[in-house]
Amino acid sequence: MATDARIALEEVSYSYGKGALKKQILFDIGTRIEAGQIVILTGPSGSGKTTLLTLIGALRSAQNGSVKVLGRELLNAGEKVLIKARRQIGYIFQSHNLLDSLTIHQNVQMALQLGGVNGREASNRVTEVLNRVGLAEHEHKIPRELSGGQKQRAGIARALVSRPQVVLADEPTASLDKQSGRDVVQLIQDLAREDGSAVILVTHDNRILDIADRVLYLEDGHMKSLTEAVSEGTSRMLKLLEKHDPNTANYLATFSFALARIAYADGEVCESERNEMRRILHEVAKLEPAEVDFIMELSMMLKRTKSGLDTRISNPALDKDRAEHFRDSLYAIAHADGNLSSEELVEIEAIAAEFGLTQNTNPASD
Amino acid sequence: MFGSIPLGWLQLKAQKLRLVAAIMGITFAVILIFVQLEFREALFVSAVRYHTAMDYDLAMLSPKTDFMVSSKQFPRTRLYQALGFDGVESATAVYMRLVSWRNPVDPSNARNILAIGFDPAEPGFERLLGAEQIEAIKIPDQVIFDRRGRDEYGPVRELMDAGQPVSAEINDRRVAIAGMYQVGTSFGLDGGVITSDLNFLRILPTRKKSAIDFGLIKLEPGQDAEEVQARILEDIPQDVRLLTRKEFMDLEIQYWNKTTPIGYIFAFGAVMGLIVGLIIVYQILFADVQDHLKEYATLKAMGYTHGYLRNVVLQQAIILAVLGFLPGLGVAHLVFTRGADATRLPLEMSVESALTVFGLTVAMCAGSGMMALRKLRAADPAEVF
Repeated sequence: MATDARIALEEVSYSYGKGALKKQILFDIGTRIEAGQIVILTGPSGSGKTTLLTLIGALRSAQNGSVKVLGRELLNAGEKVLIKARRQIGYIFQSHNLLDSLTIHQNVQMALQLGGVNGREASNRVTEVLNRVGLAEHEHKIPRELSGGQKQRAGIARALVSRPQVVLADEPTASLDKQSGRDVVQLIQDLAREDGSAVILVTHDNRILDIADRVLYLEDGHMKSLTEAVSEGTSRMLKLLEKHDPNTANYLATFSFALARIAYADGEVCESERNEMRRILHEVAKLEPAEVDFIMELSMMLKRTKSGLDTRISNPALDKDRAEHFRDSLYAIAHADGNLSSEELVEIEAIAAEFGLTQNTNPASD
Repeated sequence: MFGSIPLGWLQLKAQKLRLVAAIMGITFAVILIFVQLEFREALFVSAVRYHTAMDYDLAMLSPKTDFMVSSKQFPRTRLYQALGFDGVESATAVYMRLVSWRNPVDPSNARNILAIGFDPAEPGFERLLGAEQIEAIKIPDQVIFDRRGRDEYGPVRELMDAGQPVSAEINDRRVAIAGMYQVGTSFGLDGGVITSDLNFLRILPTRKKSAIDFGLIKLEPGQDAEEVQARILEDIPQDVRLLTRKEFMDLEIQYWNKTTPIGYIFAFGAVMGLIVGLIIVYQILFADVQDHLKEYATLKAMGYTHGYLRNVVLQQAIILAVLGFLPGLGVAHLVFTRGADATRLPLEMSVESALTVFGLTVAMCAGSGMMALRKLRAADPAEVF
């Protein structure tokens, strides 16, 4: 199956403008995405994520390298080839982009109509997909009458109704509150898994990184491995922490990574866990909330790269007080969402083992 | 695509106020076009009223005659020469001239009227005059008056209908009105009187009997007018023109349409109506495309073609054309019914003119749609991400 990946990029470059004003946006991007994979494309603003997505989505044609979507080469492709490719791709847009004057049902039907599906069959399929996204009773409303989350779900229904083998989503959670964002991502994940689609999700939202099978990190037009991104991030964090006593920086880094690991232990970070982390890190190191968020994001990536804390940050010397505080804080985070789950307990034990903290023994008293 | 979503209509319908404004604008343009074209048509129909009413197969006239009311004379002998050809049944000499008519009630008020004289023994005016009237004009100084002439000639119609004898002064000669016929006015003609050739020469003593204005030639049944026309023209001197009914009418219409500014003015008015409509529809469609640019870009990103979107805009143009045309048709019909009474011009809406205006309206809307389409090119699917 590796030979017919749903999406295959090789040495893709892209520039805007011509001559002296030419500005290269993407440099030698290469990756393959197989059926059933959900890939998150992340990176700072202006890194070229959206441009890359428009190349894969056949909205522009690539200038160099090779962009193959469902086996169709899109390098320097003409309008006709691009239109054919577009029809096989499901798009989920940042701000839903529904047609205001059409009902939700008609909006979804617009996608089916492209494939020549009309009449009763179309109507049945639209109703079915609206059921799946939980909008059955809003079928005949116009977009204005729905909430932001409902509109985005309608947008997802439109993207998925023709069961595309490739789904592209651009910041689908950007205009949504935390819970709706989470629901929407969950929905994309469920539907894509059911249909075996390859999904690329562009996002800034580190709250949803955990649904991905793979994270692609783009910076200044270069694709970076997550390990590279993390090591850069880690050194940035160490610099950040060095405004404190350089000796404690190492400890703080380890400490905050450990806290983040607990927070992520059960698969997602809830707001109370996040708040608890902010409180603890502020108390210990006077970190600002934004700095805490950066650390959370970084530890999320660390978890994905499986690069151990010990390789980056050496085992800190823990005296008795610190060890106790360390342990208490881990439990505090685990408790923050109201219950102590088994995954969280396992993670605490794992961290305790890594750093030589055991339940009843105190490493300082020998 | 059967059962597909009528996107153009749904988008128009979603903006009710704009839709109503668009329909009103188009309705206005439609009325303007209708009125101008219909007045133009009325001009032509009315200009050939006598051409239509007189009975003849070929008409003889002077080559200098541009239009009926300012006819030039030619020798009566030519008409009699024509009478000698095979297939010609009769030839009637007709005299015509604008003369001064004094209002019988208010004699200080003089006005030009068309005087027509012909030999009552010859045919040609049976559709206009009854047998009694043809007898009546044989009596000296008796004329038949057009009851559909303008009111400025005085209350002749009312007095006659009331059974009172009416007499008036024509070119300072008193004549009696012996009856009435019906033709009506045109742009060059306010009214008319018909009488015998002898009475005509009494009113206009300077005119010679041998110099006539028109000759009406009637052919034997089954004769081909063009064939006889060709035969006659071959033999007689070329100082006269010999025209079939159609050519005779075309000559008159061409004069009013091409030589006078009148035809041009109405055509110009109709074009103005078209342009006004074009601008209104363009504005509406342009604003509509502008508002939906993001939606159109989204559709393109989904795989819809430029052609599909072009059809959406053209569909909107056609819908606007139909919705604007219908009320325009209604109002124009009302205007014509009232206008016909006020002007005595033959203003009536024919199916052909309704179809013509509908065609123009559709063309106008489609043209505006085409112009608005240029904006559609700006819908770049890469912009929606």
